[in-house]
Amino acid sequence: MKALAAIVVTVVAVVLLARFETEPPRTLNPNSALEPVRTPRALARPASTPAPDRSSGEGERSFLGPAMTTPFSAIQVRGFFTGRRLTGVETVLLTGDGPHTEALNARAEPILRESVLEAGSADVDVVSGATSTSRIWLDSLQGAIDQARRGR
Amino acid sequence: MGMPVTAHVRDAAFAPGDLDAAFEWLREVDALFSTYRPGSEVSRLDAGTLALADADPLVREVLARCEALREETRGAFDARASGALDPSGLVKGWALDRAAALVDAESLCLDGGGDLVLRGGPWRVGIRHPLLSDRLAAVLELREGAVATSGTYERGEHILDPRTGHPPRGVLSVTVTGPELATADAYATSAFAMGRKGPAWTAGLDKHEAMTILTGGRVLGTPGFPLAAAAAAA
Repeated sequence: MKALAAIVVTVVAVVLLARFETEPPRTLNPNSALEPVRTPRALARPASTPAPDRSSGEGERSFLGPAMTTPFSAIQVRGFFTGRRLTGVETVLLTGDGPHTEALNARAEPILRESVLEAGSADVDVVSGATSTSRIWLDSLQGAIDQARRGR
Repeated sequence: MGMPVTAHVRDAAFAPGDLDAAFEWLREVDALFSTYRPGSEVSRLDAGTLALADADPLVREVLARCEALREETRGAFDARASGALDPSGLVKGWALDRAAALVDAESLCLDGGGDLVLRGGPWRVGIRHPLLSDRLAAVLELREGAVATSGTYERGEHILDPRTGHPPRGVLSVTVTGPELATADAYATSAFAMGRKGPAWTAGLDKHEAMTILTGGRVLGTPGFPLAAAAAAA
């Protein structure tokens, strides 16, 4: 009887584990070093995810999302807002053992801005590019920039 | 170093001779690290005629950083990728960081083959368009820091993913900005080698921003990538 109970417990644990793996709560994982950047319309269109904008905190309010629980851990996400704009995210881990909470953070989606490749020309001081076999390209462009400078 | 190095200095009281220390340093780096010189310490380490314990502390420092990067990038950055020991992916940026520190100027842009060390800006930096060589894909504006771009613009030149031995698919170039060029350059090379998985990896980097140009004209940038506020597209 004890052996059967042990098998039942194991099966239940495996089922719960499987459910955890397939339905993890979603978190945002913003780069904490972000500074506010104004993106020119010509070079970008807004991403579907609002970009975090670290303001001074004045007028900033925060809201705590619902607690999401799994058999192994529970989390709550706090969102910081200035007006209706999401300015920050904090994930609060309520319980949970190490490996599963690490797996949770590993699923966090990267925040990236998507845009279309533009081909422009602009007044710049210097050009960054991958080193190429014909380095004379960069030298030549630098020469043109320097001439433009002197011409002003 | 095998690449052109240009210094742009805005300080009014600056003489070309003030660059001598920086360029002397770059020559020393070449003597220690060049894989094209059989007598360099890196070449001798690789040949087994020099023990690591006897190598210059600078060489040991660079090799230790290479190893740390290999772990951090899960093999995308690997000083032994080509079989022989070749830390030049880190050495270039590392050497330019130190060269910039040897220039006594408040406002400086040091340009080593398209990878930049900047201070005392603002500096407006164009990112070369990967397909149209006379155009720019983006304009950055930053006061200080490093800008590194990795990519292949021309056939016959490849960065190989050390894990597959093949060029990465689907990516034209990656530009990374950060506090110093050594790491920014290594991150750019690593992200490029990761191919289409690179952008997600760059989004998780601390203190670094990135812009990846994919084939098909799609651009994925981290939200803090320092694009200039006013792009004067012609």
